[in-house]
Amino acid sequence: MNEGDKMIYLDYSATTPVNKKVLETYVKTCEDFVGNPNSIHRLGVESNHLIEKATEQIANIMKVKPSEIIYTSGSTESNNLIIKGIANKYKSRGNHIITTGLEHSSVYGPLNYLQQSGIEVDFVSVDENGLVDLNHLKSLMRDTTILVSIASVNSEIGLLQPINEIGLLLKEYPKCFFHVDATQSVGKVAIDLTNVDLATFSPHKFFGLKGISVLIKKEKIELEPLIHGGKSTTIYRSGTPALPLIVSCAKALRLAVEDLDDKYEYVLKLNKHLVNSLKEENDVVINSNSKCIPHIINISVPGIKPDTFVYALEQFNIFISTQSACSSGDSLSQAVNTLTKDEEIASSSLRICLSQMTTKEEVDEFIKCFKICKTRLQLKNNK
Amino acid sequence: MKILKFNAIWCPGCLVMRPRWNKVINELPEIEITEYDYDSNREEVELWNIGNKLPVAIIVDDKGSELTRIIGEKSVDDLFEIINELMVK
Repeated sequence: MNEGDKMIYLDYSATTPVNKKVLETYVKTCEDFVGNPNSIHRLGVESNHLIEKATEQIANIMKVKPSEIIYTSGSTESNNLIIKGIANKYKSRGNHIITTGLEHSSVYGPLNYLQQSGIEVDFVSVDENGLVDLNHLKSLMRDTTILVSIASVNSEIGLLQPINEIGLLLKEYPKCFFHVDATQSVGKVAIDLTNVDLATFSPHKFFGLKGISVLIKKEKIELEPLIHGGKSTTIYRSGTPALPLIVSCAKALRLAVEDLDDKYEYVLKLNKHLVNSLKEENDVVINSNSKCIPHIINISVPGIKPDTFVYALEQFNIFISTQSACSSGDSLSQAVNTLTKDEEIASSSLRICLSQMTTKEEVDEFIKCFKICKTRLQLKNNK
Repeated sequence: MKILKFNAIWCPGCLVMRPRWNKVINELPEIEITEYDYDSNREEVELWNIGNKLPVAIIVDDKGSELTRIIGEKSVDDLFEIINELMVK
């Protein structure tokens, strides 16, 4: 039974509700463009022109070339294609990949897979704030290092890594490519891909639709495809181009970058209000720090199981998450553990996500209900 | 002596520990290793009461009784020390 009336959604980093304008674009494209973009007849040509237009828009916003854009089904596929694609294509060059302890499971998954066939993986340390230690990164670089994979924003804590600095450092190693999982940053903060070789993002994180991701692969880099079956829009990813998803992705991206600074400032204000209120609670540990984007606030309430807390808030029609939606439900937060090195904190972490859609009233209601839930659960624990 | 290893594809600690265990296995080939996946081998995960931190390695005797378990990341030296101690007993 719900204790609250209105739903308060605070899980925007897991996914976002679709913007109605984006949905309209999707429906209109489905209705008006029936041709397969790879067909040679007029309907196909019209569909293909629309893909080219949408791709050009995405490329302009991301400041890359249209030919550098590859569409996949989601960031998980994009990350897999990049990591496995580089490892397989450049195996004669080397077998060493570097990453961090703050990545998404779609980075660890392919790395675990590849490690069983000879790929060597190193983890670069982070400093006390959770930022990549550049000196350590330099010390890990080998002649055989073919890839460094680092998320621009960590999905559980919101840490914003110095991507430009890392990219500049890696320019000294021309045999090594730099992959940035930008899934949690695009649409929230400006990202400069000048010094990045490969990047990934998905529009469902910024009020677009699920089922599509953009993979950016700079020219002259090659990838061994995961899917073999024809050229499509690119030799690197076969399959009939998902025209309505591609067009709606361009629309979502255009809307997301509009007034980006204003939206950021608005979320920052909400973040400060929420964090200041949570700081008044002595038994709440705030894991996100000043190096994090304001959209993600990771906290821990030691002694209370995070899933119990999520279900308690759900009774008030409030929705937050325990950790990245793609992690195992049972595990402790790897990211929080990497940052805090405290297993109790990492085992009791909650993620609250804000967006420009969040109101101050929603934050106030959340704070009120959070306190009620915390007291109830603590009383239950003490019985 | 046998080692039961519990890993998961999404686990960064498993990436750290796999090469370390490989070094141990190369030097002690007489030790039998059985690997379980945390997500697909749920029966074994529950049977052995694997908690929320991975990887886990359970060292069992010839009868299958647990001698000790190693949770999370340990150095190669630590692994050798733990195993050698159990072998002496």
